[in-house]
Amino acid sequence: MASDMTTVAQKPNPIMAIWNHALFQAFLNDPITLFSALFLFVIVMAAVFAPFVAPYDPQNQQLKLRHLPPDIAAHPATMRVQGETLTEDRRFILGTDHLGRDYLSRLIYGGRISISVGLLGVVVSSVIGVFLGITAGYYRGILDDIIMRAVDIFMSVPLLLLALMVLFILGPSFTNIIIVFAVARWMLFCRVSRGVVLSLREQAFVDAARAIGASDGRIIGRHVLPNLITPLLTLAALEVPRNILTESTLSFLGFGIQPPESSWGLMLSQGRDYIVTAWWVVVVPGTAIFLTALSFNLFGVWMRAVSDPLQRWRWLKATKEAKEAGVN
Amino acid sequence: MIRRLGHSVFIVAGLMGLLFLAINVLGDPVELMVDEDASQETIDALRAKFGLDRPLYVRFADFYWDLARLDFGKSLRHRIDAQEMIFDRLPNTAVLALVAWAIGMLGIPLGILAARRPRGFFDRFVNILSFAVISVPQFWLALMLILVLSVQFGEYTGLPTSGFKGLGIEGWKYMILPAMALAPTVLGRNAQITRSTMIEEVAKQYVSTARSKGLAENAILYGHVLKNASISIVTLMGDELAGFMNGSTVVEIIFGWPGIGKLLIDGINARDLPIVTASVFVVALMVMVINLCVDLLYTWLDPRIAYS
Repeated sequence: MASDMTTVAQKPNPIMAIWNHALFQAFLNDPITLFSALFLFVIVMAAVFAPFVAPYDPQNQQLKLRHLPPDIAAHPATMRVQGETLTEDRRFILGTDHLGRDYLSRLIYGGRISISVGLLGVVVSSVIGVFLGITAGYYRGILDDIIMRAVDIFMSVPLLLLALMVLFILGPSFTNIIIVFAVARWMLFCRVSRGVVLSLREQAFVDAARAIGASDGRIIGRHVLPNLITPLLTLAALEVPRNILTESTLSFLGFGIQPPESSWGLMLSQGRDYIVTAWWVVVVPGTAIFLTALSFNLFGVWMRAVSDPLQRWRWLKATKEAKEAGVN
Repeated sequence: MIRRLGHSVFIVAGLMGLLFLAINVLGDPVELMVDEDASQETIDALRAKFGLDRPLYVRFADFYWDLARLDFGKSLRHRIDAQEMIFDRLPNTAVLALVAWAIGMLGIPLGILAARRPRGFFDRFVNILSFAVISVPQFWLALMLILVLSVQFGEYTGLPTSGFKGLGIEGWKYMILPAMALAPTVLGRNAQITRSTMIEEVAKQYVSTARSKGLAENAILYGHVLKNASISIVTLMGDELAGFMNGSTVVEIIFGWPGIGKLLIDGINARDLPIVTASVFVVALMVMVINLCVDLLYTWLDPRIAYS
């Protein structure tokens, strides 16, 4: 009993273990990665809790308050509640658009769509790609030939061309944009997972699993998939900004998200006509896209660096040296 | 070589086959062409006119036969041969792409300079710059360029917000902003790849050998390392030229540049099926030719790669 107590007491606190882990400490000491991770956290939280974070209703129009520039002064906004006209003081930190809607609220709600398109697109395309990639790599043969030929075809078509073809046939909508990413981005995940599976299936532990009579499903689930997680997460982190940029381009061209829904790309396309008179309607959503894509890219590159043992070692060493240099 | 060519033809044919199937099986070509409120008679008339009442396999064969002869039919909106319109627009896109691509090549020296001292000041600068420019949405960059250089400081720069005055001398001013909007992405990617492949190559053993026999650092860097790194760089540059449609479409729209991308978008908006088919085909063809050239360059850069 007593010895049990001591072993429990000696177990390190799991949170402290993560905190003291070399990678986490290095992460804290890398300002660029830390900032991009924090920024992404804030953006994602704002998107998830949009109804609580957004100061006003993003659809509420105040035609008298059109194109107010960003400032912190209060403006009287009128509302009709049950037949009565009420006046409310509003502060438009990021200004208002051509219909007098609060731009900050629109930005937060637009981010909801933009980020979910980015993430969902990756989820859908990776599920399809990984399924086909494992099938091709594990079973080889004619299936492999067919799948890889299809990869070749899809790889050689410019992304936007493929996206426009799909949206031309299916029509623009949120779901169809996700379909675009499923159609146009699965090949990357397919290639990566096939490559990993091809090298794994020759390894001793897979042979051993097969020798003791494990089924294909068990081998794939227990031995192949866990080895796929790191390369796939890295690829996914770099694919999300790409999807966000593509979605914004498609919405800007009018083939993506349709009003009254809104995304950052659509905000830009609506603001484009007022670029001369109201700069913020173009600058604000563009900056949001830019910073989000940049943070995802920087974070993805960091992930790629630490998932490669050799690079991780170099990177940890450099961070350590930098830290020591800073202390001395 | 012939196998490689066959492969390219297969890819274009496969893509066009997918387009045909998507249009004819998933959708209905007539419905794609007419407005939503078109009457049944119009629909039937169009169906008969384009021979869409024939069985699918006849149309499928016909579709490929037309493509092989570059006969796309007449544009529904403009009543001109789609082929003529394509050839009219093709040089505009090609020139814009080449100009931006040439500016983007400046990324290669940037990458080389950055790779000389990894983690040095210049390296960090190039690294952040290249990440910044590949994260910028190109259409937003285009809008910002218009806002700053043409609207705000227009009287000094004299740059027009948009338009097109031919590819000759009088039209050069109209090309500056579109090229400036397109080039940074290419530049950033070139710098990144050049930097990372150079750093990777420098770590290899032959560099130590060259150093130990007393070869000057510059001779190693430019004579050996750059030469070996050039394969990845050439691949990337080919990819970028081939992928130019991605950026140039939206930039062409913003600046009113009459290229293939604008033709495609206008075609989609006007439900002009012959134009859409023709633009997709021509773009796929261009991509195929560029990829073929890149593969040929490979065998020249690295004789170990051979196409039998």
